[in-house]
Amino acid sequence: MLESVVSTKESKKTNVETKTQAKYWKPYQTRWNIASLLTIVLAYIVNQVVPSQEYVSNGTYRWFLVIYFVYLAAVYIAGSFIHGKVRLYSGHFAQLNASIGLLLVVQDLLTEKYAIVKQPFFVSFAQILDQMKTDHALLLASTWSSLGLWLISFIIGTVIGVALGLFMGRYRQFNYWAFPYLKVIGIIPAAAWMPLTMVIFPTSYLAEIFLIAFSVWFPVAFMTIGGVQSISENYFESAKTLGFTESQILRKIVIPGALPNIFIGIFTAMGLSFTMLVISEMIGAKVGLGWYINWAKGVGNYTQVYAAIVIMAILFSVIFSFLNKVQEYSLRWRQKTN
Amino acid sequence: MVQLAIKDVDRVLHDNNGQKINVLKDINLKVGSGEFISIIGPSGCGKTTLLRLISGLDTPENGQVSVDGKLITEPDVSRGYVFQHGSLFPWETIRENISSGLKAIHGHDYDHELVDQYIDLMGLKGFESAYPHQVSGGMAQRAALARSIVLKPELLLLDEPMGALDAFTRADVQDVIQKVWKQTKTTMILVTHDIDEAIYLGTQIVVMTPRPGKIKEIVDNPLDFPRNRTSDEFLNFRREIQDKLNFGVNET
Ligand SMILES: Nc1ncnc2c1ncn2[C@@H]1O[C@H](COP(=O)(O)OP(=O)(O)OP(=O)(O)O)[C@@H](O)[C@H]1O
Ligand SMILES: [Mg+2]
Repeated sequence: MLESVVSTKESKKTNVETKTQAKYWKPYQTRWNIASLLTIVLAYIVNQVVPSQEYVSNGTYRWFLVIYFVYLAAVYIAGSFIHGKVRLYSGHFAQLNASIGLLLVVQDLLTEKYAIVKQPFFVSFAQILDQMKTDHALLLASTWSSLGLWLISFIIGTVIGVALGLFMGRYRQFNYWAFPYLKVIGIIPAAAWMPLTMVIFPTSYLAEIFLIAFSVWFPVAFMTIGGVQSISENYFESAKTLGFTESQILRKIVIPGALPNIFIGIFTAMGLSFTMLVISEMIGAKVGLGWYINWAKGVGNYTQVYAAIVIMAILFSVIFSFLNKVQEYSLRWRQKTN
Repeated sequence: MVQLAIKDVDRVLHDNNGQKINVLKDINLKVGSGEFISIIGPSGCGKTTLLRLISGLDTPENGQVSVDGKLITEPDVSRGYVFQHGSLFPWETIRENISSGLKAIHGHDYDHELVDQYIDLMGLKGFESAYPHQVSGGMAQRAALARSIVLKPELLLLDEPMGALDAFTRADVQDVIQKVWKQTKTTMILVTHDIDEAIYLGTQIVVMTPRPGKIKEIVDNPLDFPRNRTSDEFLNFRREIQDKLNFGVNET
């Protein structure tokens, strides 16, 4: 018996290894790694050599290309010496990086080099980067302010949603009284409240928090209810025979059991909350990326609009990846289905 | 010294068409303190139903179930229950699962050594931080067993805890259960399909028949400890029980 125990343990280990390998599944091929470096070199040369139709300051873009090149080269060199995660990572993304390099070349030619798509509505990546550099103080402040507003609103919305969902899922009486009302309220798009909230709340910041939190709580609550109701009766009965009190059942059974669904709700709500963040900042705020876009539109500087959009893409992706990591860790007990 | 008394118990359930089913009828059983009762009978005769009544998870339509003269109305830690199917919490590691009851009662400074001891005894060493889906069905069942035993219940209800185990592991776990039973003097009630298991462990064998679920006979086990599964006495007694069950010779 002991032997079988040991052998299953070992097979578990190799299993885990193939799984991390499966994340970076593209085989390492030196030619793709070199190709991706070459496309960046190409992007640099094109930017340097081909004469421009539009006046753009390219300094920041070229620095960006240099840093990108150095980063990739460092990863590849490390990967060719160290066999392991770095190598898998660099091999897996080599083709993607090559495509990014080509994309940079193409957009450069389309915009500033041959002006096939024209300013002011279409601008080169170089111009966006230059704008970001010029405006970096304001953009940074806007980003921080948007992040802060989003964070506080999202947390409030999630906490309210989870709490309501847990109680509605667990307690029939509460569900009877609360669910019909909450369903009718929750189905209303948060944006519909905008005109009212702007006059009802004492400050526009509070109004914005309300609107964003409002877009979050309902999907979270709704998914949480389903999550609680899907928990097997077995666990509740075991808990009772093990001496759990009601509050322990809530903490040790109901919450972890509903967690997979809670995360589905959170990810649904996340998209809605980003939308609501930008909209409410455009309308009510004096700060934030949404405000920045609106202001840039007002003065007719579309490069600034692009700059804010690029920052949003980065910011929201980072938030998404972070939440994804949180989910992965919180649900590490789940059987992987892939 | 009667500890558990089941008196004239009926359990009536309804099927999907609202039709009444007498799942248990006229159940009478007295269990003395420190006994080991093996309940044996064909699938669907109401063994799980009976165990649930004893634990207090369900209450009977007629009759009473009482422990030390006190009517059972709800589950309690003094009556451990090891479920027939996976009941380990999938979001807790094996160790967290085993200590979950202790933690619920004593908080964080529960008896860690006791948990270690049972992890050892159940052959779960090296798997303390694995999650239930990462261990075999047999390990999961042993962990579920440990989780109830560490609470030192006065009465331990076992619903086919070894149903999912292979023959070797099964014999191991039977010995573990017997050892615990002898050491702790816990009263145990085991539901099983396996006649050998019923005889090897039980001081009394309760034979049940289905539709409606009834107790056909309660047989005292004449065998002394330690028991030998291949001795003549064992085989003779096995034949006797088999006749009472009067279904296929190879029924397990
Ligand atoms: N909740 C329920 N509603 C209706 N009928 C039920 C319910 N639970 C059990 N039954 C019926 O009661 C009978 C006894 O069920 P029980 O689970 O107690 O059998 P068992 O002896 O434990 O069987 P097995 O050995 O297969 O586990 C079965 O015929 C089953 O269909
Ligand atoms: Mg059963």
